[in-house]
Amino acid sequence: MLKSLTLYRRLIGVQIRSQMQYRNSFFVEIAGTGMIALLEYASLALVFARFETLKGWTLGQVAFIFGLAELSFGLMDLIFSGFDPGYFDQFVRRGRFDQLLLRPINITLQVLGSKFMLRRLGKVVVGIGIVISAVELNPIDWTTLKVFLTSTVVISQVAFFGGLFIIGATITFWTVESVEVINIFTYGGSMMISHPMHIFPTILRNFFTFIVPAIFLNYYPALYILELPDPFNMPAYAPFLAPIAGFWMLFIAILIWRFGIRHYQSTGT
Amino acid sequence: MSIISVRKLSKHFKVFKHHRGTLGAVRNLFSRQYSIMRAVDEISFEIQAGELVGYIGPNGAGKSTTIKMLTGLLVPTRGDLSVNNLVPWKERQKYVGRVGAVFGQRTTLWWDLPVIESLSPLQHIYKIPADRFEANLNEFRHTLELDPFLNTPVRALSLGQRMRADLCAALLHDPDLLFLDEPTIGLDVVAKERIRQFIQKINRQRGTTVILTTHDLSDVEKLCQRVMIIDHGKLLFDGSLISLKERFSKKRELLVEFAEAYVEPNVDSAEVSLVDGTRVSYLFSRDEISASELIGRLSAKYRIRDLEVREPEIEETIRRIYEEKLLE
Repeated sequence: MLKSLTLYRRLIGVQIRSQMQYRNSFFVEIAGTGMIALLEYASLALVFARFETLKGWTLGQVAFIFGLAELSFGLMDLIFSGFDPGYFDQFVRRGRFDQLLLRPINITLQVLGSKFMLRRLGKVVVGIGIVISAVELNPIDWTTLKVFLTSTVVISQVAFFGGLFIIGATITFWTVESVEVINIFTYGGSMMISHPMHIFPTILRNFFTFIVPAIFLNYYPALYILELPDPFNMPAYAPFLAPIAGFWMLFIAILIWRFGIRHYQSTGT
Repeated sequence: MSIISVRKLSKHFKVFKHHRGTLGAVRNLFSRQYSIMRAVDEISFEIQAGELVGYIGPNGAGKSTTIKMLTGLLVPTRGDLSVNNLVPWKERQKYVGRVGAVFGQRTTLWWDLPVIESLSPLQHIYKIPADRFEANLNEFRHTLELDPFLNTPVRALSLGQRMRADLCAALLHDPDLLFLDEPTIGLDVVAKERIRQFIQKINRQRGTTVILTTHDLSDVEKLCQRVMIIDHGKLLFDGSLISLKERFSKKRELLVEFAEAYVEPNVDSAEVSLVDGTRVSYLFSRDEISASELIGRLSAKYRIRDLEVREPEIEETIRRIYEEKLLE
């Protein structure tokens, strides 16, 4: 385990050194990614210039979940860069995946270490900024539990969307090319959870509650942290289900991934 | 001791039926009709430790499928395969630690890093003891002449330089077995020769078993004691290059330049294949007559100025084996 961590650190080190070879484009890309995140937030904030609240939520409250979702997705996109379905299909087609299989290390670790898109940091930084400004706008009565829950939310979202990335990557073993459908869950899911879930139609909300339990990743923890009433009368432990939703997704993803590798080895591409 | 033992190894692929056109594309989505393609069909062979084997065959013959099974990337459909007393695909991590591979035009190095920085992570990936790593790196830097481009990013290397760097990367961990897929493809004559010499050296000095696939038969001629020919998934030939020539290219050629132009300069046991003034070419078979006997007969009848015996080109022999299906 410790050895794996050291090795992971080394592989990431290689990736970072590679990206530092292009210093200028590195800074431009970080700024670009940050700018996109900022613009998305600005378009949301503009709505509040006209309407006081979004179905009862103030800008500060919406900004809190928006920022958390941005920060987490950015962090996930950084850590799971290697599994990004839009990139992994080429990785397999160009035979890079075969080359990883020829090295005497765990394949999952190697895919994780095969890419580390530092430019995603732009999104992470902006996400943190939005969360800070949200707390300015809407002061939170911090308790130890709330601090702990906030960090758990970030980790759980990273696990959840990381799992979706892994599933999306695994599908390309069969389809050869990346499948657009997976984007509905990854980018679509992230967009969903950056908004208060009660603004969405029931059918959509139910889908993201019972089928893909994304509602527990951001909305419910936020209800607890922001001390807002639960409009759907879920059990009192609902705000604390984020890690279960997140890590359950990651767990299933790893099972599918393993199955995918076995399939890959029996068919090739 | 055999390092590779392959018995009745087969790999079959399902090839889904493709319907053409836009409507066909829609049908493809739902149609599950397929046929079986026998990429590798019941091949058997043994390779001893220290051998240098050329594995050749036309495109789509099953070469790379075999190599993929040998390296553990593909699971066979049927048959037994053991390399280094391991089953490659079952014990992948353990197995690949003792194997080196250079696959054609793909590099295993990190594209954006200078060569030296791209080689150093391998020490940790293969858990190479520091002293071994240093010793090997120093040796390869010298024999492969890596120093002039050691600090150049991999992406900026020429094909020949990149191949040298990749060979170094594949050998730093002292593998028992080295797989080379088209190691000289796209290289100029000088670069090819340098790579060949290096492969030979590794094989002789370190006793590394080498299996190489190539389209350039001069690679095989210059390097391999043994050659295996595969086509349509079947192993057609397995033996020495000399025995391949003896078996399939019995016709040798004697080029004679006579002192004067003769009309129908015939001789027993050989046929005239070409007459060009005083220059005549005879084809003869080693079963019927030896070269010296033939020269003796000719010189008894005619005045000879110069002559040359030509062995058939390996290239030609292989082409005939593929095209005329001599082995099926």
